[in-house]
Amino acid sequence: MDMNKPSLLYRTLLVFALYMAVFPALLTAEPVKEYIKISKEGVKRIPLVLKNLDTEKSKSKKYASEIDAIVNRGLGFTGLFAIIKAPLNIISGGDLYQAGKRNINFAALSSVGAEVYAGGILDKKGSTLRMDMEVYDALTGKLLMRKLYEGDKDNLRKLAHRFCGDLVKMFTGKPSIFESKIAFVQQSGGKKEIYLAEFDGYGAVVVTRSGGLALTPALSPDGRKLAYLTYTGGKPDLQIKDLATDAIVSVKRKGVKIDPAWRNGTAELATTFSFDGNQELYLLRDNGTITRRLTRHGMIDVSPTFSPDGRKMAFVSSRHGSPQIFILDLVSGSVKRLTYEGKYNTQPSWSPVGDKIAFTTMQKSGEINIFTVNADGTGLRQLTYRARHNEAPSWSPDGTMIMFSSDRSGGKKLYVMNADGRNQRSLGLGGQQMQPSWSTFQLKSSSY
Amino acid sequence: MKALKFLLRSLIVPSLLFVIGCSTCCKEAVVAPPPPPPPSPPPSASVVPVGTELGDVFFAFDSAVLSTASESQLNDNVQWMNDNPSASVVIEGHCDERGTDEYNIALGERRAETAKNYMANAGVDPSRMQTVSYGEERPFDPGHDEDAWAKNRRAHFAVK
Repeated sequence: MDMNKPSLLYRTLLVFALYMAVFPALLTAEPVKEYIKISKEGVKRIPLVLKNLDTEKSKSKKYASEIDAIVNRGLGFTGLFAIIKAPLNIISGGDLYQAGKRNINFAALSSVGAEVYAGGILDKKGSTLRMDMEVYDALTGKLLMRKLYEGDKDNLRKLAHRFCGDLVKMFTGKPSIFESKIAFVQQSGGKKEIYLAEFDGYGAVVVTRSGGLALTPALSPDGRKLAYLTYTGGKPDLQIKDLATDAIVSVKRKGVKIDPAWRNGTAELATTFSFDGNQELYLLRDNGTITRRLTRHGMIDVSPTFSPDGRKMAFVSSRHGSPQIFILDLVSGSVKRLTYEGKYNTQPSWSPVGDKIAFTTMQKSGEINIFTVNADGTGLRQLTYRARHNEAPSWSPDGTMIMFSSDRSGGKKLYVMNADGRNQRSLGLGGQQMQPSWSTFQLKSSSY
Repeated sequence: MKALKFLLRSLIVPSLLFVIGCSTCCKEAVVAPPPPPPPSPPPSASVVPVGTELGDVFFAFDSAVLSTASESQLNDNVQWMNDNPSASVVIEGHCDERGTDEYNIALGERRAETAKNYMANAGVDPSRMQTVSYGEERPFDPGHDEDAWAKNRRAHFAVK
């Protein structure tokens, strides 16, 4: 046995032990309270200098620049940060290729208006990439986070997004969007099918093969099941698909089935059936059997959405004539009207983290615009303006963003915006998309 | 698209039947196309209806209430059903593109059901009438003005 050449495992463990001894608290990113307050109030974006990864070996450079691009896009997507180009003299000394041992030039950072600095070193061993990241408060010079990320060179997106997720969680205190999924309807040549993709539309794959018309996808809170409407054979069916096994439960009751929604904290969902002669909301298990009836009224009741605790359900009803949004308390059975402004309020979507409800209003001009309102009816706020039809709002799992469809530039496309309406931009997917559904991760998600 | 739909329908529908009310009926006074000579007459449709036509009925925005004109058309449709006792229909409920998709599926169903109930009350066996709602998914006129919307807010009768 050669004592001068300890095994790789041994060396790794030793490094890890030393690392833990030096930086015990830094491996877990603690939320930074003052920033949480800022991001909650939506006052401004956090000015962030994101320094490109440094790498000592030239063959690691292409990985570094790809990761830089993914991190930039990912953090940009959240709308939380104003990303500032790093000043040239950002490293003022020390060892350039060792995180923690190089000197960050905080004076240079403050001169460009940065409040946070993030950067790191990339190293490659075999097919494994090691990304040693450090994040500083640029104003005080305090180290906010230091963490080593390891990942396969063939999955740069995952490696980069793990860092993005930690950074965002540090500022928002909530699980980030980076491991969430979206489902949406993709239209091509008059046909509509449902697709599943990562949070930003990346890696979209088709889920349904209806041959013509599949609508209103709803991802379960844990992202494992998808409920949707499909017109297979000319008749609308509600289908509940297990995304891991591809097993499908088909609910073939007489009449329509419309717009399913999952109830947080349970394996139940609500949907509209009309088998008794009128469009009413029912609660059902994910095997398709009905638990109970939720509405009893001669007019339309559709589009359920549940409060984070699953105790309340907002829905659309035409019981007072034009469609308006109501809230049913599932415990007491009481129903309260939520919307009074406007003659056509539909598509409610309850924030998975708060008491806000997003919905759409069709206005006299013919525009459809997205609003948010508190669950008690106060704080009505218009988020989209003069941009044709903006529909089907769906919240990000952390409640900081809203995805929706808009035809503001022609065909319908998916857009995202911050929860206060700022920073509206297209996902840039090809073709036409609508009816996005963002997984909410109310249940414990697997580690990324 | 319209032409294809039209062609398919003329192939599928028993050739001795007059069927008005597919996509071309948006224009007034549409005449049924001359039926191609049948290879052998289907036994179930041996009566050529005269004087009545199976036609669509139209609705106001966000409404499933029948107008006088709609009731008049439904009376004709009842007559057609009586003249063709072996025929069954699918009544499709449709909406214009305004409003939102989910709500319009419910509204489309109410339009189809309203038409069905009216005809059932007038004596047509309900088992001969099925309903389906397409909401705003299958507009007959792809336009974006009131002229198009008015044509798209309809209950459409398709002979099975």
